[in-house]
Amino acid sequence: MGSLNDKKVALVIGAGSVKCAAALGLQNVFKREGIEIDLVVGCSAGSMYAALIAAGYDVDRVTDMTKRLWTRDLTSQRDRMALLRVAFPRLFGFDATFGMRKDAPVMRRLREAFGDLTFEGMKIPLHITATDFANGEQVILSSGSVVDAIRASISIPYIFSPYKIGDRLLIDGFMSDPLPVNVAMREGADVIIAMGFESPNQTKINSVGRFSFQLSSIMTNNLLKSRFAFHNITHHSEVIPIVPRFDQRVRLFDTDKIPYIIEVGERAAEEQLPYLRRLLGGDATEAAGA
Amino acid sequence: MEVTTKDMGTVTVVTIVGSVDGLTAGALQTALEGQIQGGKARLVADFAAVDYASSAGLRTLLAAMKEARRAGGDFRLAAVRPDVLRVLELSGFTSILKLYPGTDEAVASYGP
Repeated sequence: MGSLNDKKVALVIGAGSVKCAAALGLQNVFKREGIEIDLVVGCSAGSMYAALIAAGYDVDRVTDMTKRLWTRDLTSQRDRMALLRVAFPRLFGFDATFGMRKDAPVMRRLREAFGDLTFEGMKIPLHITATDFANGEQVILSSGSVVDAIRASISIPYIFSPYKIGDRLLIDGFMSDPLPVNVAMREGADVIIAMGFESPNQTKINSVGRFSFQLSSIMTNNLLKSRFAFHNITHHSEVIPIVPRFDQRVRLFDTDKIPYIIEVGERAAEEQLPYLRRLLGGDATEAAGA
Repeated sequence: MEVTTKDMGTVTVVTIVGSVDGLTAGALQTALEGQIQGGKARLVADFAAVDYASSAGLRTLLAAMKEARRAGGDFRLAAVRPDVLRVLELSGFTSILKLYPGTDEAVASYGP
């Protein structure tokens, strides 16, 4: 294990759109402090950052890639057939693959970033979570194409269609757990750094879209807290939550705010450093059994 | 981390200074269990000087809460700092523990 002691350290990056770039700030701080990560888990947009970190790319490269990966034009191509299926479901055949936007732009970007990379080729073991659309179960993707896994994990309901891997139709990982700490637990991690993001509440509800977003935020945030609470209590060692606080509003595609987001991530990671140094630096026997 | 206790009527105020984490959990657990086993199950933990809390530390609080309630008392928190409160909220503790702005309010909450 590459950590300061023999504890297995996992980084879990939860759902949070472009805010997940805060993980790069954490990566900066950990690199400076010599804290190595033994395992990375990602969910939804967090899966992209998890994969970039697991691939061993340095922060500057990842930052640059992010600006190109996650831009507004990812959702620019409307799927007109999908609209017809909504309006005339019997005539055009509405089914479980519904999505309002075509995924060609996002697939192109993901292939530019990750090419044919597989989980097996990652420098740090990587796991990505999605959700089985048929029954809501969390699906842990740990082998095969990284691009396919990320595409499945970011299948934002209504926007991108569910994505088929094997015989399962998968939707966004946040639907089963916005911060999948359990994957790191199952993989034997001792110290789990869990970077999560609460969904913003809508300040003004003046459209059906905002109404739906608010409902989604309520459910997602409650799911985040209930799942985290369970994992926090049941883990044998430490789960260290890092929930960055953003003073500025960060929207879905605010990639121009990435430097700010990284800075917030750095600050949030630095707040945990005094304890992490003590925990990983020496006498952590007590912590493991606590 | 330092732990001191003070009896205020039928309530015992446990003042904790420092970090409630995996490295201090053992000492904190011993201190809290000692109070409960000594018949002092109406506890208030003064968190005004607790500057950090981790999952392993929170599990100690959970154990104390269960023990105190089993013994007919309770384990209540006072003066929790915003950063620590955030961890408590995320971990679900604020939905199962009673929290008060200060120790006086927490002690008074037990009634006469």
